[in-house]
Amino acid sequence: MKFTCNTKDIGAAVGAASKVVNAHTTVPILSNVLLTADGEKISVRATDLEVTLEHAFPAEVAESGSVTVPAKLFSGYLSNLPPGLLELTGTPTRASVKCERSNYDFHALPADEYPPLPAAQKGQRFSISAKRFRDGVNASIFAASGEEARGAVLMGTLLELENDSLTMAATDGYRLAKWQTTLEQGISGTEKYIVPSRALAEAARNLGSADRIEVCALGAQSNQLSISAQDTSIVVRLVDGQYPNYGQVIPPKFDRNVNVSTAQLISALKRAELVAGDRASMVKLAVSNQTMIVTANSDVAGNAYEELEVEQQGEDLTIAFNARYLVEILNHIDSAQTLMEFLGPLSPAVMRPLEPAEGANQMYVLMPLRQ
Amino acid sequence: MIAHFDIDAFYASVAIRDNPELRGKPVAIAGSSRRAVVLTASYEARPFGVRSAMPLYRALQACPQLVVVKPDHLKYRELSKAVFEIFGRGGRVVEGLSLDEAFVDFGERSVETATTLAQEIRSEIAETVGLTVSAGVSAAKMVAKIASDLCKPNGLRVVAPGEEANFLAPLPVSRLWGIGPKTVPRLHARGIETIGDLAELDDVKLRSIFGSSGSEMRDLARGKDDRLVEPERKTKSISTEETFEYDVTEEYELLDLLREQARELSASLEHEGLYAGTIGVKIKRADFSLLGRQTHLAQPTREAKRILEASAHCLSRAELHGAPVRLLGTRCASLVFEAPLQTTLFE
Repeated sequence: MKFTCNTKDIGAAVGAASKVVNAHTTVPILSNVLLTADGEKISVRATDLEVTLEHAFPAEVAESGSVTVPAKLFSGYLSNLPPGLLELTGTPTRASVKCERSNYDFHALPADEYPPLPAAQKGQRFSISAKRFRDGVNASIFAASGEEARGAVLMGTLLELENDSLTMAATDGYRLAKWQTTLEQGISGTEKYIVPSRALAEAARNLGSADRIEVCALGAQSNQLSISAQDTSIVVRLVDGQYPNYGQVIPPKFDRNVNVSTAQLISALKRAELVAGDRASMVKLAVSNQTMIVTANSDVAGNAYEELEVEQQGEDLTIAFNARYLVEILNHIDSAQTLMEFLGPLSPAVMRPLEPAEGANQMYVLMPLRQ
Repeated sequence: MIAHFDIDAFYASVAIRDNPELRGKPVAIAGSSRRAVVLTASYEARPFGVRSAMPLYRALQACPQLVVVKPDHLKYRELSKAVFEIFGRGGRVVEGLSLDEAFVDFGERSVETATTLAQEIRSEIAETVGLTVSAGVSAAKMVAKIASDLCKPNGLRVVAPGEEANFLAPLPVSRLWGIGPKTVPRLHARGIETIGDLAELDDVKLRSIFGSSGSEMRDLARGKDDRLVEPERKTKSISTEETFEYDVTEEYELLDLLREQARELSASLEHEGLYAGTIGVKIKRADFSLLGRQTHLAQPTREAKRILEASAHCLSRAELHGAPVRLLGTRCASLVFEAPLQTTLFE
């Protein structure tokens, strides 16, 4: 193979693909990215067998073919090149790069040993504006579990489709994020996909600047999902399992609520958390007389007391939360005011933007701490 | 000389001490949850078959008149501190094994002086803290521990230097340190019933049973134990491990053992009033190479189910791919006294 391209194009493509590569893989070829020259474009592909990312960019192809190069090494090299043109010649064992007056030979592995693309059999598909997709991913995936020991299901984010409604839900068992929107072009019937959250993060990062995103189930059992836009596609192996019935734990109604300034509450919580120490970062919120008092204390650090003006409806309440969880939720609420709804000190509490973003519904459930 | 002290039925004794009406009655300390287990049973409850780690419902079946008292871990820690202060008086070296159990080093003192000291310590604890303590005195750690076990409750047993082998010989071989429930049937099958039987084995037999640690086991069986009293040994982790009789390759067998160990560790954590934030596994392959994996939990736990979930995950991360395993262990670390405060959505 032989092609000439812009250093910026190939640098961006290899940089994005190398993020998918598992640094600890024991299979040598999975440390590599696959470059394929065909027609007037080059596609760069990387996979860890769970997530596969492919990105294409234009090039002048003199000879079509493929080559695989070590991802980290090659992307490090490319990121240090000046803007300009680059010529790459690939053989099964070597990739030779010429750029201005620099000449590099990289050891390659045979391209035909690279894992083939996943099955092309297509199932249900829908499309969504890239911005809205990115909003949904940002609003939900942070609530998924980061604990491998608890299994892949809780580390995933649920994509739930019902005709033209798309819901993204994520939970680690202590908090729950739920984001819902209406699709212009939905599916017929219902589908549920548990998607590894990091694949959604990759998709939001790499496809977020596009116009629209196409999502399509792949494989005979619809056990893979392709998320693509323009020149980039991400194919992810779905998590096989039963997602917790999260709808059941969202209380249907609440008997008291508080309307509070999102920014003020975030900064009060961040200060109070410093004092809370390692006791589960416990902060107490006491609501009474249209005022919320945030307190925290620890033997080591001392006491924290913060007063906030709020709009209160219903009875007084004192409830304790892990400050980190609550701050993380509030950080994802894009509204000046947050509506917090309660049932009691040990019941799930709900937070949602008072002025929801156009075209999307967003809510969070957070379990309190025992006091 | 070394003394091993053990507070008699610690939690139950505290309950009786603070509520004299319970005296003479069968008492068990247990939580109130559906799956509560007996943490400690008073000596009056034991003839009914009530034992530590027994599910509470079974204890109540065995002894319907059982008085069940909820544990008060804060109080246990306070009293334990008072008892340990007496152990360590005069700069004595103390190695705490748990809240209610410790080795105390009497240095080069004679057996007579050591006996008097142990007696004084027991009296002082009874007078000032109001709890009875049993003690074993010997030049060897393990012998001191077995001696105190044998004279419970409220006893003192001294094994003079030179008498260790005779003292141990008639005891069942399971009393020996390092002989777990998996090893006992193997020894019985070879006709080894008592510690004395083991003490007389020749090198060849020893090696065929215990491998390279054979002569160490025989030394222990003869009462030779050079281990020192290690001061300031804070409980940093709780672990358990087991050597398989035959090397194991089947994952389900490994998981079975992890399940057993999770249950055992869950009971130990509950007994000590602790929660673990880190769970790990230790694997010795058939070629004796060691391998460890551990994982941190978002919320500390003492639940057997969560311990197993984490240890099974660690096992899968070890990527054994059917390599034969000789030994498997589970370890709980990052121990904390605070119960997890976070409530959960789905449990």
